[in-house]
Amino acid sequence: MNDSTFKFEFSDLNLDVRQIEMVMGYREGESHEAISDLIAGALIDAESFCELKAEYRIFSGIEFNPSEKSVKIAGLEFSLKKIVFGQLRKSESMAVFLSTAGEKIGEMSRKAMKDGDLLQGYIYDVIGSEAADGASALMQEKLKMAAEMEGLRITNRYSPGYCDWNVDEQHKLFHLMKDNFCGITVNSSALMSPEKSVSGFIGIGREVRFNKYTCGLCDMKDCIYRKIR
Amino acid sequence: MNDILKLIANCVENGKIDRNTPYPPGMKGQDGADELTRLALDSGIKPEQILDGALVPAMAVVGDKFSRKEIYVPQMLMSAKAMNGAMKHLKPYFSTGETKRKGKVIIGTVAGDLHDIGKNLVAMMIEGGGWEVIDLGVDVSSEKFLKTIDENPGAFIGLSALLTTTMENMKKTVAAIREKHSGLKILVGGAPVTKEYCERIGADFYSPDPQGAVNYLKQFAE
Ligand code: B12
Repeated sequence: MNDSTFKFEFSDLNLDVRQIEMVMGYREGESHEAISDLIAGALIDAESFCELKAEYRIFSGIEFNPSEKSVKIAGLEFSLKKIVFGQLRKSESMAVFLSTAGEKIGEMSRKAMKDGDLLQGYIYDVIGSEAADGASALMQEKLKMAAEMEGLRITNRYSPGYCDWNVDEQHKLFHLMKDNFCGITVNSSALMSPEKSVSGFIGIGREVRFNKYTCGLCDMKDCIYRKIR
Repeated sequence: MNDILKLIANCVENGKIDRNTPYPPGMKGQDGADELTRLALDSGIKPEQILDGALVPAMAVVGDKFSRKEIYVPQMLMSAKAMNGAMKHLKPYFSTGETKRKGKVIIGTVAGDLHDIGKNLVAMMIEGGGWEVIDLGVDVSSEKFLKTIDENPGAFIGLSALLTTTMENMKKTVAAIREKHSGLKILVGGAPVTKEYCERIGADFYSPDPQGAVNYLKQFAE
């Protein structure tokens, strides 16, 4: 399997008003006409405001350390912690990935808020988050197809900062992703720029399993994703 | 007089900014918070009566509904827009000092962090609670907080952070503020922040949502 870079179209995400509303918290049967209209308009704007990019690099020769719940990739030791370690441990190689919705959607969000339109800014913000996450999902599909061609399977994707895996470990992850195609940088407090970006690992191997995210394992009781996924 | 205050409050609750606002459908073509506030002032109602008798109670209703998950962020922001439509007529009275607000709140996202949407929501709701908000933006250093505190003695402080790493800078900022101003009240929030963390770093109050902060501040209103 080869390292790969991707550019996606906004339309590839198939985002619709309903999905954005659900992320905002609206439940089955709930909506607000004026807001649905604004979201519909913002989704059209977002086609030109989002620049979706993703990249994965495949690392083989990885070593798991069960007592430390860690994995060594290209000489760097990642302390995955129990949950993520359990999901990745049967991997024979690791896809390290980045994805982004680009800088502009965040800029447009901030601009709207600066001009006093918090609502428009918030709508762009939510669309940007979904786009960044959606770009990862599309990249993951591509990886899955490439793996299947070689008779391999993949795990779900896991990001530093989730499930106890320290967000600080992003610094090591970015060591593996030097000069990345997405143009993402990470600051000293592990915050990525553009803001609408995601980093993580996907395990590859004959024995690995794809498990859906189980919110029961996580302790963020108020998470908006808990309600919709 | 009470009637017009009720109408203004109703506009704010429903996000009716002005005559041109097409929603809610039942209020189409009618005056909104903007026109009604002008009218109220012109008919001799005092700015503070509009603030305390219409805007603050309306935003409290909105904030409570949000805390109870009866409405979501977008509707809260629609109300905020309507509130701003009214507020713009009151601002001249604030700046001359003729009308006083409840006090000052300095708010910002801590150093190393650029996430501002949550902080903006909180700032907006605190303003809707009748406070003057000084928003320092994102990536705000402890020094900047300290300087602004010096310029606004007795102000309350609100700190926001997105990641567990930037949350550490929240701790540093709290320590820096405490060193110089032990009595100031510091509010903290953001996705990774918890009540336990708030206590551990010596901040005064944590809330998962903006209305909690507004309710907490009430007891200190001048
Ligand atoms: C949407 C989202 C994303 C989006 C957008 C992120 C962005 N910054 O724009 C995407 C998918 C891109 C993303 C990426 C990442 N994310 Co993320 N993300 C979220 C999520 C689900 C919602 C955040 C959000 O925008 N909420 C909506 C706003 C309005 O809420 P808010 O900012 O929290 O503010 C509210 C309250 O907190 C409160 N509040 C805020 N400030 C203050 C201040 C005061 C004084 C008070 C009283 C109240 C208060 O009031 C606000 C209104 O209700 C949270 C989980 C969650 N449920 O909160 C994780 C979360 C923030 N993400 C997390 C992580 C780890 C990441 C990544 C590092 C993952 C990765 N390795 O790729 C990246 C980092 C991105 C970057 N730029 O560096 C972690 C952070 C914790 C940690 N371990 O550090 C969280 C908490 C999830 C978790 N389970 O752990 N993420």
